[in-house]
Amino acid sequence: MTMASERSENFPIHDENPGPLLKVRDLRTTFTTPRGKLNAVDGVSFDLARGETLGIVGESGSGKTVLSRSIMSLLPRSGLEQSGSIEFEGIEMLSATPDVLRTLWGAKISMVFQDPMTSLNPVVRIGRQITESLRLHTGMDKTEANAMAVSLLTQVGIPSPEQRVRNYPHQLSGGMRQRVMIAIALACSPRLVLADEPTTSLDVTVQAQILDVLAKLQEERHMSVILVSHDLGVVATRTDRIAVMYGGRIVEIAPTDRLFRAMAMPYTKALVASTPRLSQPSHVRLTAIEGRPPDLVHLPKGCAFSPRCSYATDKCHSEVPPLTASRDNASHLFACWNPLPSTPVAITTTPGSSAS
Amino acid sequence: MTSMPTPLLSIQDLFVHFKKGREVVQAVSGVSFDVVQGETLGIVGESGCGKSTTGRAIVQIETPNSGAVVFDGTDLTKLKRSQLRKARTGIQMIFQDPISSLNPRRKINDIVAEPLDIWKSETGEERDSTVRQMLEAVGLDPEITGNRYAREFSGGQCQRISIARALVMRPKLLICDEMVSSLDVSVQAQILNLLEDLKARYGLTVIFIAHDLAVVKNVSDRVAVMYLGRICEVAPSDMLYSNPAHPYTEALLSSALEPDPSAPSARILLSGEPPSPINPPSGCRFRTRCPRAEDRCAREVPELREVGPGHSVACHFPLVRA
Repeated sequence: MTMASERSENFPIHDENPGPLLKVRDLRTTFTTPRGKLNAVDGVSFDLARGETLGIVGESGSGKTVLSRSIMSLLPRSGLEQSGSIEFEGIEMLSATPDVLRTLWGAKISMVFQDPMTSLNPVVRIGRQITESLRLHTGMDKTEANAMAVSLLTQVGIPSPEQRVRNYPHQLSGGMRQRVMIAIALACSPRLVLADEPTTSLDVTVQAQILDVLAKLQEERHMSVILVSHDLGVVATRTDRIAVMYGGRIVEIAPTDRLFRAMAMPYTKALVASTPRLSQPSHVRLTAIEGRPPDLVHLPKGCAFSPRCSYATDKCHSEVPPLTASRDNASHLFACWNPLPSTPVAITTTPGSSAS
Repeated sequence: MTSMPTPLLSIQDLFVHFKKGREVVQAVSGVSFDVVQGETLGIVGESGCGKSTTGRAIVQIETPNSGAVVFDGTDLTKLKRSQLRKARTGIQMIFQDPISSLNPRRKINDIVAEPLDIWKSETGEERDSTVRQMLEAVGLDPEITGNRYAREFSGGQCQRISIARALVMRPKLLICDEMVSSLDVSVQAQILNLLEDLKARYGLTVIFIAHDLAVVKNVSDRVAVMYLGRICEVAPSDMLYSNPAHPYTEALLSSALEPDPSAPSARILLSGEPPSPINPPSGCRFRTRCPRAEDRCAREVPELREVGPGHSVACHFPLVRA
């Protein structure tokens, strides 16, 4: 393959500079709405290492999608206010000009959206939708780019790719379209892929296939991935770290195993407890969280989860808890005044018995 | 199927086909099952398997091409329009999208009372007190919610209102089509718990249609798995989930993702996606994706047959032997 050597010239696989690929610091994204100011992202900070997969989990209105679009600088400008910092490979995304962003989108950062039907152009053959960014960013000529498109379709597991490049999106099934989306996102070997609910519109048997393709390609290309999902099941086995969002903030972030072993934030635990599981017998009563996710225009005072939290005290209702590291594990951070005891204990312990 | 009491609902060899241009979509092709008074039957399957069409064909929103839908001793497919309207008050349906199922410009009181206004000759006072009771039963405060408009409510609350509207006629059978699919997990758990409470309180029989295996398991006594318009397997839910007999059920279960990083990752990956119901495979419809398929599967349609107590499977080479 002559293609491969050319590609690695354009996109050195090994980055010279160490340190995190992405640094987000105190990011605030607000929108002006007729009802008032909507705090979609309310002071989020985290680092993303090279090659790392970070899962972002939250319910609707938790700010997870706005966060991923903020990183990508994809939000509509009207009524938008942003502060803080998003540093991607040394470039400040919040102040980047449209010209700079155009050199990054597709080439260095790309995105896989939830709905492949509306994200693909219905009147353009999929081959051209893949080659578009290749020709723009790498200067490949038409033949090279076409060959590359075929190779990408093979890599994402599309049978008879030579014929498929000539198809329009409506000729493909939902799973196939999502594979095409992944091929487009990965065409220029970006350093970071943001996958926003990439499998939510797909059936379970297809969902597993798509997540596998994404994981395989990530490993081969040493990319960083941010996997945004409302589904704990999707992120549980596919991520290195998980950030749980609630009311526009990260309320807990930890390496995946650690999070499930020793969750500290009552919301995280409640979220897991309210998810029905295959391993439970039928008719098990679910531990529902009373109330509903907060209104981002009128966030509750103090901890956003406090009105629904069974551990909440006066302090929780008045002061916002900062995101702080766990005493025994510096990579496990949570924002809670009354964290659950971090002893990785059996599930048999009742939550009530551990209240101090 | 022999030792069971007289079923409340009996579906016999139901076919629902749609014309799409010159082609025919075989949405439901020969589905039969019974639902006994007081039980919850889950119907699970991927998109296009015919689970929603089956639910809609029971209430005759879709007209079946052939087959019988016997509800409480009456075949609904044989009824005249006016008789059907009356018979249907005993079956109520709850749909997936709670917000668009309610008229945003009507008050909650009027939405919930509408079935009563049509069918019952109650005085205004009786009607109001029935509505109030119903709203309380679904966990809404009638004083606060009754005079507000549907557009003012969140998805979870709208679903509670839909449930109140469905139950106000005191139906015997409730059909829930993906009723929690658009809700957040924390709210989903509230609605599932509510459904269990109401089922016990009003002695309901429920058909619960959903794509989420864990949700279906949580609420169902028995589960039917559908694939491309046919039932592959029916069993008591704990048995189906622990001992699937159909290769499709097994694959479906193994591709479900659990919120647990230590969950076994030995998965049976199905290749490809379900074929189109316009031109389904001959014989067993799953054979094109089935790891156990042989020549016989292409020739003969497997009949649903019993492999254990209450456990039936439509497969020539099931994973458990009778």
